[in-house]
Order: sequence, then structure tokens, then C-alpha cells
Amino acid sequence: MIGKESAIGRAVKFTFLGLWLVFTVFPLYWITVTSLKAPGDIFAFPIAYWPEHFSLENYSGLFGTADFGTYLTNSLVVATVAGVVATAISMLSAYVLARFEFRTKSALLMAALVTQMIPTFIALGPLYLLMTDLRLVDNRLGLVLVYIAVCIPFCTVMLRGFFENIPDALEEAAMIDGLSRFGALFRVLLPVMRPGIVAAFIFNFVNCWNELFLSVTLMNSDANKTVPTALNGFISSFNIDWGSMSAAAVLTILPTMVLFAFASRHIVQGLTSGAVKG
Amino acid sequence: MAGASPTTNTTKTTRATPPGAGRTSRTSGAAPAPGARPGRRKREFTTRRGLLIAAFMAPAAVFVAVFTYYPVIAGSQMAFRNWKLTDLTDTSWVGLRNFRDVFADPAWGTVLANTALWVVGSIVPQLVIGFALALWLRRRFRFRGIYQALIFFPWAISGFLIGILFRWMFNSEFGVVNDLLQKAGLIDEPIAWLADPDTAMAAVLVANVWYGVTFFAIMILAALQSIPDELYEAAALDGAGKVRTLFRITIPYIRTTLALTVLLRVIWIFNFPDLIFGMTGGGPNNETHIVTTWMIKITQQGDYGRASALGLLVVAGLLLFATFFLLATREKREVKP
Amino acid sequence: MRRRTAALALGTAAVMVLTGCSTMSPGADGTVTLNMVESLTNPARTDLLKGLIADFQKQNPKIKVNLVSPPTEQADQKIQQMLQSGSGVDTLEVRDITVGPWSNNGWLYDMKKDLDGWQGWQAMTENAVKASKDAKGRTYFVPYGFYGLSLFYRTDLIKDAGFSKPPATWDELLEQATAIHDPAKRRYGYAFRGGANANSNATAIIEAYVADRIDAANGFKLTDGKTIFSAPEAQDAMETYLKLFKEASPKSSVSWGYPEMVEGFTNGSTAFLLQDPEVIATVSQSKSVSKDQWATAPLIAGPSGRTVQPLATAGWGVAEGSKHKAEAVKLVEFLSEGEASTAFTKKNSLVPILKSATEDPFYRTGPWSSYVTMTENPEKYQVVTQPRGVDWWTEWQQKSDADVQKMILGKITPKELLAAWDAYWTEKWQREK
Repeated sequence: MIGKESAIGRAVKFTFLGLWLVFTVFPLYWITVTSLKAPGDIFAFPIAYWPEHFSLENYSGLFGTADFGTYLTNSLVVATVAGVVATAISMLSAYVLARFEFRTKSALLMAALVTQMIPTFIALGPLYLLMTDLRLVDNRLGLVLVYIAVCIPFCTVMLRGFFENIPDALEEAAMIDGLSRFGALFRVLLPVMRPGIVAAFIFNFVNCWNELFLSVTLMNSDANKTVPTALNGFISSFNIDWGSMSAAAVLTILPTMVLFAFASRHIVQGLTSGAVKG
Repeated sequence: MAGASPTTNTTKTTRATPPGAGRTSRTSGAAPAPGARPGRRKREFTTRRGLLIAAFMAPAAVFVAVFTYYPVIAGSQMAFRNWKLTDLTDTSWVGLRNFRDVFADPAWGTVLANTALWVVGSIVPQLVIGFALALWLRRRFRFRGIYQALIFFPWAISGFLIGILFRWMFNSEFGVVNDLLQKAGLIDEPIAWLADPDTAMAAVLVANVWYGVTFFAIMILAALQSIPDELYEAAALDGAGKVRTLFRITIPYIRTTLALTVLLRVIWIFNFPDLIFGMTGGGPNNETHIVTTWMIKITQQGDYGRASALGLLVVAGLLLFATFFLLATREKREVKP
Repeated sequence: MRRRTAALALGTAAVMVLTGCSTMSPGADGTVTLNMVESLTNPARTDLLKGLIADFQKQNPKIKVNLVSPPTEQADQKIQQMLQSGSGVDTLEVRDITVGPWSNNGWLYDMKKDLDGWQGWQAMTENAVKASKDAKGRTYFVPYGFYGLSLFYRTDLIKDAGFSKPPATWDELLEQATAIHDPAKRRYGYAFRGGANANSNATAIIEAYVADRIDAANGFKLTDGKTIFSAPEAQDAMETYLKLFKEASPKSSVSWGYPEMVEGFTNGSTAFLLQDPEVIATVSQSKSVSKDQWATAPLIAGPSGRTVQPLATAGWGVAEGSKHKAEAVKLVEFLSEGEASTAFTKKNSLVPILKSATEDPFYRTGPWSSYVTMTENPEKYQVVTQPRGVDWWTEWQQKSDADVQKMILGKITPKELLAAWDAYWTEKWQREK
């Protein structure tokens, strides 16, 4: 793949890349345009590809009547806390799984893989009862705890890969210099792993930010709802409110999209260091 | 997802030299015996080492045990009982009746066929396009960073929201898809994409491909970037063409990443009712129901017994699949250098 | 469970640090907090309820009400989960289709004794009082209003198509809708219900066709004891209904449920909509259809000129697991009488439960007049009880929805559909005996 590209090759490549870009970005463009149309114009025919009358009515409605700000705050708090804690916890387990050999190791890895196979719906009922016992229903902390558990298995496996790619020599040297194992972990390994940790956190954050079914199940009052639950609510029993829906969609997509855009190099880098080594 | 990469190198590293070995003795505090090779030390068990492992594993284990495994195990007993929310006065044990009911449902065949189509029809285009993107993005070009940032974002959107987004675009009366196709002269009158059993699955697949390519692209790109340039240079010296290089060097080199990414994606796509739930709800005429949306439907009917039975079948099926898949790809790995 | 305790300890510790949550603290000053859960949620209605609750709290300063509004699609499932867990619900919305299973599971509190001697009963219509009692005379909910069907239509569109008045029968509806239908212009005749709850409108047309010999106590039965689906008129009804789909409805309506149908009407593309009065409020807010462009007509009739009004209802009840039943009942009483009830039925556009409504000018004008017409002509618009409380109602809905969809997709014929439905109900009734 390293030789010179032919002119035709280049043409094919950039045509494909261009088409894919259009295909990828178009839905986002479309939802944004829809959200900026005046509510009456959304169903105007012929379809307008650019809003005839720009209107922020759909957005103001979200914050006026629907209290969307609260949902955004809730999602932000829950996803950040759960993402950070899950990454921290996973770092410990990933470190052990990468650096030690012990009898239950493969069983633990298997247990992590199996969590990915379980359909969420099988656990909702008993989980609700458990959370009732713990007095954590309709409580952001309760949701955070559940999300942490959801994030840990994948995050652990991912971080374990990064640890394995860092030569032992690094921490051995540190420990010979008198640092404890913890000290070696935090002072020496973590800085090296930064892109990987960022990538892991972003995956956790995005997962929690987007989660719907658990949130619908565990949150009751309006003050505790997260954004996906609110979005689901816009399909009310009376009317699909496409205007509010698209405005809400834009606001929901923006934070994670910006996060991904800024960190996309980090993500690839993080995974590269972890992905494959010779 | 990202799980693929780490697992990859586990297999590789363990095969080469057990890397974890060297560190273990240090935990015990004993100085390494002179001349002892790292590989030998891994079996030294000391309380301190055991405690360290336990302490580091404990938080993760507790969280997953309490909030994932406990509810699942508590819930799985319902699979063997008459557990209907519409009538909880009789929750007696019914053996395998719920499982039989799952199979006896006349729609079950459709649901299974849809699931297969959903998984294969999503994964193949995602893999192919993701691979192509990764190959092309490997080389630096102007605006590559911006391009990458722009095309990776679908992964950051929730499945439910993607369903809604595409439901709006595929709307037969006011949807932009029909409008564009009509403007291009490809169709004469609007197609009722999501209401026509022949087109609904196609529309849902388009949405899922749009969403899932990113993950493959990221994983494969990361893997490609770790292939040493010398390998390519050597191949070029040997006069190998592009296609040959791709199949002789690139693919073998990243095979494990590919295999494990595919495995994880299959599991995830299988367990991904969100998109369909938001886009079609399984309709029309059950034509877009997959096993996991079917489970939601049964849950909404209040038949938790049957839904749990179905859930257990999903886990069992995926476990079986994963085992076979890992065995099959391992064999290949051993045959090839 | 040691794990549970561990998690609990961890949880409580983190609660203090993180959220400073106060939801579970029982009022030290003697205030009682009630959790009230609604089911048929929509944003406008939630606001309305919040307003009424505020009034209630003003009257009862020692009671605080926390309104829970789950998304409609998941609402009943969520309420079931809450009821099963035995906590988190005090007052709740109970529907005619959920009251059976929920009371059967012992989740609902029988309010009969508490409401004995309650003045509110006197002000209520006979229908409402009847609906508040189950077969054994227990009161699990007090209805807040009734849902019935009427025809929403576009005055401008039928005029343009050359008709002077809205359709009165299904045949006329078919004729007018077909005339208006023009897909190329994004103009459609009828907002067909092919998706969720498709069965309700399908049975409505069948009941209209057999209106002369329907059993008033069971809308799915004829006076001779057979099912309505076995009648030859039912065959005509289904043929007409299928034609209505093929010739006058948007193709995508194969999967239309409640929100899509209403959307189809409020976005201005569809001329006719058969819906609950509840929709009046939504249509009034439409940005695409102005006030002088639409009206309602009484429910359309079968060939005999008579029809059947399939009434559905829902109301407020109290959870058996509630620790504050007296206060919860107080809230139910508050919502079911006087201004609160009037405000709720008016703003949420429901057929009212209070007798005083018939004298209220509000119901004599505009879209509401159709409902008055219907109530004043019980011979023509018969009120028939639907068998919505049976155990197998959910199963029936799922099955019959699938069948309607199969029929309009051409997978089964109207005849096959009716034969299957006839067999289904005949078998259920036999087993019941």
C-alpha cells in the first residue's frame, strides 16, 4: 500500500471518500435543516432543502415547555460520572488482567464477554426490584451505578490491551527506583497510556449518554430524566412532534459529536497502541 | 467494539512469551532469583500477590455481579415459570413451556430469518466499507484529520435516535429520500419505504450500515497503522502488486483484529434492538422484527416468562456462535504463518 | 444478601457526596409526599395535570404531589413494574384495559368504602358512575372522562371536491375520500389505521354495519349470541374498509398508529380522521391547518343509518402498596369533581363525567357539537360496552392488529380475517363458560 498511487487510483479513492462523506453527513444536515424550519413549514410541499423562514421556535419550545435543559444536565452528569468511575475501576481490573497470570483469569474474561451477549430486557424487571430495595429508583446515583456496571466489562478488555502493549521494563524501572506498584501505575504507566484512557472514557461516555431502556425503567420524575427518555417522550400518544424531535436530536448529537471530532485522533491513536503489536 | 483489539494481542502475546510473568514475583516482595527466567515465576503464589489481584479486581467484579449478573440470574427463573404481569396470581413452575411457546409462534420463522438478514446484511457492508475507508485513510492527505472527524461521528449517536432520524428521512410522504429519488428520475411515485414489507428491511439496513461503518473503520485503521512499513517495502522489492500485498501482507497481519472485531460486532448487532425500535417498531407485518425486538414486544405484552426464555436462548445461541467462531478463526491462524 | 448491603452502603455514601438527593426523606414536618403516575402521557396534558396538582397542594398544604410521566409507549409497562415493586406509586392512571389485570394481581386499592358518601357521585353522569364499579361492585378507579370516536374532516377539501356536507355513512366516506385522494399532490383521503391498535377502527366499522342487532352489553356479540364477525354485514364492512385503504389512504398508513394518524391530519395532508375527542386539542394547535379549515362530524354510520359508539375510559385509582391511602384518595376525589374535572375534560378534550357539562355552552359549539349530537340521539348513536376488560385483551389486540395489517397488505382476504376473528372469540367465550 505504500507505492505511488496511480491517477485512476486517486480518482477512485477520492470519489469514494467524497460520496461517503456526503452519505454520512447528509442525515445530520437534514435533521438540522428540519429543526430550523418554522413548525408549519416542516410539512410544506415541495420539500425545501433550505429553510424558507429560519425559526428557532422548535428550540425555544424545548427549553420553555419541555425543560430540556434539565434533561441535558442530567445526561451530562450521569454520563460523566459513570464514564470516569467506570474508566478508573476498569483500569485496576485491566491492569491485573494484563500483568498477572492466575487461575480464574480466563473465567473472568469469559464473564466479561458474556455480559455483551445478554439482552438488556431480560434484566429490567429484577433490576427494578433490586433498585427499589436499595432505594435507588428514580435517583441519578442509581442510574450512575448501573451504567458503571454496564461499562466495565468492555472498558476493562479494551484497557487491558493497552497495558499489554506497554513494556514491563517501564514500571520495573520505576519500582526499582523505589516506587510502589500503585506509584508505578499512576506516575509511569498512566501518562504513557493517555490516548488509550481518553478513548476508553469517550466510549463509556457515549454509551451512557445514549442509553435508553435502563433510563426509562429506572427514572420516574421529570427532574431526573435523561435526554434519550425525553426524546422517546416526543413520540407522544397524540402526535409525533417532528419539529421538537429534530431540535432535540441536534442538541443531543452535538456534544458527543464534538467530543468524537476532537478526540478522533486520540481514539485511533489509543487503539493503535493497543491494537496490534508485532 | 474496542474489545476486539485488546483480545487480539492477548492471543498473540501469550503465544510468544507470557508477558505477565516477569512481574509476578515482584509482588511478593522477594528479589528475583538470579538467572530465573520470567516465565517460570508466574506460578509463585503468595498471599500478598493474591490480595493485590483481589483488591484490584474487586470493584469491577462487585459492580458487574450486583448490577448485571444478579438481575439476570434472578430474572432467568421466570423463564421456567408462568410469569405474566397480566395475572400474577399463578406463577407456578411450568418446565420448558415458555421455550416451546417461543418456537411454536407462527412468526418465529420470520423473526429468525430477519435476524440472520439483519446481522449479515449489516456486517458485510460495514466491514467492506470500513476496510476500504481504513485503507484509504492510512495515508496522509490534506484535510485527512477533518475528514476523519466528520465521518466518524455516527458512532456517537444512539441507536434509537438514528432510528428516528432515518424514519423521518424515509417518511413516504414528506421524506427526503423519496424526494431525492424522484428528482433524480429514479422513481415515479413515492415509495412507502417503512410500510412496505419488501423495502422496510432494506431501509433499516441502510441506517445500520450508516451507523456501524465507523467502528470498523476505526478498529481497522488502528490495526493498519501498526503494520511496520518495512513489510510493505519488502513486498514492493519483491514486485508484489497492490492486490497481492493486500492479501499477502495486510490481511494476514491484521487478521486477529478483523476476526475479533467481527465477532464483537455480530454480538452487538444481534443485541441491538434500539435502531429498529425507533425506526419501524418491528413492522410492517413483523417484517423487521429481529429476536431482540421480538423480546421487547413480548415483554410489552406482559409475558415475562416467555421473554426471559427468549433471552436465555439469545445468550445460549451467542455463546455457541462465539465458541465456534473462535475455534474456526484460531485454526486459520495456526495454518497461516 | 451481603452484596446488596455492600452496594447499599456504597450507594448511600455516594448519594450524600454526589446528588444530595432528597426524594426519599419522609417529611419531618408531617408533610406527605404522594407519587402520582400518568399513563396516556403527552406534554400538554402533563402541564395541565401539573396545574391541577398545584391547586390541590394549595388546598392541602400538608400534601405534596410528585407527578411521574413516563413516555406513553412504555408507560403501562413501567407502571406495572412500579406496582409490582410495591413502592413509588400512590395515585395512578388506570385504564379500562388495565384495571382487570392490575386488580387481579392485588395491586389496586378498592376505594369503595372511602368514597361512600362522597358528594362527587351526585354530580356524575350515569355512565361515569357505572364505569367506576367493576362486576363485583368494587371501585378501582374513578373515570376522568370518556374516549369516543368522531370524524375529523377538512371543510375546505370536501368543498373543493364538490361535496356540500361531510359523510354520514362509511360509503359516503369512501366516496368523498376517494375523490380527494391525490398522492402526486401529497393529498390523501383517509388517515387509515394500519399499525398499532388497527383493530379498534376495524371493529368500529364492523359494529356500525351490524348496529341493528348488536348486543349492548358486549360490542363483539350479536343479539343471537354469535360474534359480530360472523355476520354477512361484517363482510361488506371489511370490503369497504379495504377499499378505503386501497383507494383513499396513503400507502405508508399500513404502519400508522395513533400518533401517525393524527400527524397525517394535523400536517394538512389528509382529509379525514376517525379519532377520539382528545385529538381536538392537538388539531387546534396545528400550524398547518387553520381553525376554519376543519370541523368534526358525528361518528359515521353503517348502511342502516345507525352506528355504535365504542366508549373507552380511564380514570384515577390508588395503589394497594401506597402508605398514604387516605391522602391518595383525597387526590382522586379532587380530580374527579368540580372545577378540576371540568378543566381536565375541557382542556384535554374528553367526553365529560359531570352532568353539568350538557348545559355548558363550551360543549355546544365548534368541534364539540358532534359529541352533543351523539349524546342526544342514543337511538342512532348507540353506546355499547366493549369487552376491553377481558384477560386476553392484549393478546387479542396483538393478533387482530397483525391480521388487519396482513389484510391490507394482501396476505389474507377479508373473509379469512373475519373467519379467524369469529373462531377466536367463539372459542374464548366457550372456554369462559
